[in-house]
Amino acid sequence: MDSGYYAACTALISRTQALDTIANNLANASTVGYRAQHNVFSSVLATAGSSSDSPVNSAINSFGVLSGTTLDESQGALQKTDNNLDVAIQGGGFFAVQTANGPMYTRNGGFQLSSKGQLITGAGDPVMGQGGPITLPRGDVSISSNGTISSNGAVVGRLKLVQFKPGTELSSAGEGYYSAPAQTEIADTDSAVKQGMLESSNVNPVSAMVELITAQRTAEMMQKALTMYNSEMDKTATQELPKIS
Amino acid sequence: MFHALYTAASGMTAQQINLDNIANNLANASTSGFQARRVQFSDLLYQNEVMPGAAATQQTTVSSGLQVGLGTRPGNTEIIQTQGDLSSTGNPLDFAIEGTGFFQVMMPNNQIGYTRSGSFQPNAQGQLVTANGNTLQPTITIPPNATSITVGSDGTVSATLPGQTNASQVGALQLATFANPGGLNSVGNNIYLATTASGDPVVGIPGGADGLGQIQQGMLEQANVNIVDEFVNMILAQRSYESNSRVVKAADEMLQGLNQLAQ
Repeated sequence: MDSGYYAACTALISRTQALDTIANNLANASTVGYRAQHNVFSSVLATAGSSSDSPVNSAINSFGVLSGTTLDESQGALQKTDNNLDVAIQGGGFFAVQTANGPMYTRNGGFQLSSKGQLITGAGDPVMGQGGPITLPRGDVSISSNGTISSNGAVVGRLKLVQFKPGTELSSAGEGYYSAPAQTEIADTDSAVKQGMLESSNVNPVSAMVELITAQRTAEMMQKALTMYNSEMDKTATQELPKIS
Repeated sequence: MFHALYTAASGMTAQQINLDNIANNLANASTSGFQARRVQFSDLLYQNEVMPGAAATQQTTVSSGLQVGLGTRPGNTEIIQTQGDLSSTGNPLDFAIEGTGFFQVMMPNNQIGYTRSGSFQPNAQGQLVTANGNTLQPTITIPPNATSITVGSDGTVSATLPGQTNASQVGALQLATFANPGGLNSVGNNIYLATTASGDPVVGIPGGADGLGQIQQGMLEQANVNIVDEFVNMILAQRSYESNSRVVKAADEMLQGLNQLAQ
């Protein structure tokens, strides 16, 4: 059958997948430290490698598929909370967290204390300092811009801020956590830490809405194209043509 | 079927809980000693269609994976620990805590409750009780004929009796604090209960160096609800709810279009 039929079908499937990513971005517009995901579409040559690879053939057989999602690394807006244990990162760094599933990284600095006084994330996992988990004595906590934590004037630890080697792909793990391949983390000296602030999700509602509308309208176009193949061309081929002779 | 429908529904549910919490904070804006709560959200699991860093060929790896998130959920509601404003009431039995401590009160079921609402009255036996009749711990008995009552910043309660020139000490207030006050369990009536998350209470004398705080007599601590912040959060919750419902509509229309293909 016509390759355009499958091209439209592939594009329709990829738009429904794209809608899932857009929905997830909008659902997480209030998740502190959330990084938006962007869809990456790419063309797949259905006849790649075959002998009949003429320019015309490749043009009509180049199907658009959703090939990947990338994390938006842009800075989210900082919102003031005045909570002593809220910290936001200004820059590209991440906080290191020790979880049951190994080391994870997060931008969500809404930290709390455990019943033993250990600094933990909202999910209850210990936040890593330069020398392991950080335990805070009772009293006033202040966190300087390089992540040094002091309590009642005495230094008790320093938050471990990390960045990753160029080209490292972070994988979203839920709970605001990201995981990275082993041996890709490097110490971050560029980012600054702001106490009493939280970083809002970097989802841009305007571009998310535009993406949503684009996905929806593209899907409609593909549906229209499928209908045309279905009702107009095939109908002509199967019902009208035999009558001509 | 589309995840988008469920993903958007998770966003709408989360914003609904967010609005419930904002409504409770605003409703308690005049409750003395009330501490606002804040909902923290977290993203749900991801479907890994292509893992980031997976091998594309023997020599190369894919530049980015294909991860589709499945929505959001409210993770926890944390108690905001900031100090509320102190307002002067002139009532000698109103105490405000300037610091992180809590008053301890004996509940009817003999459990100790913790509160920052420092409005006390003497009961029939002269013991200081809260508005709900819970006795302040350790008990402080005010002599019925006392002409004036003074509470020091370290919690020492002294009463002046008729015919006496010097006040005599009738008791001392103690405050409790927790390793993680954000993990206390709110049970209403301004009362918190200790949990395994909050840790065991550490009881001490006010005004010391351990951050319990000082007692201010004749003052009450107002709720630490910031009305402006709550309104801003309310607008954000409402708009976020709308954008999620827009996704539901878009997914619905795409499905509708698909169904019409078959006609």
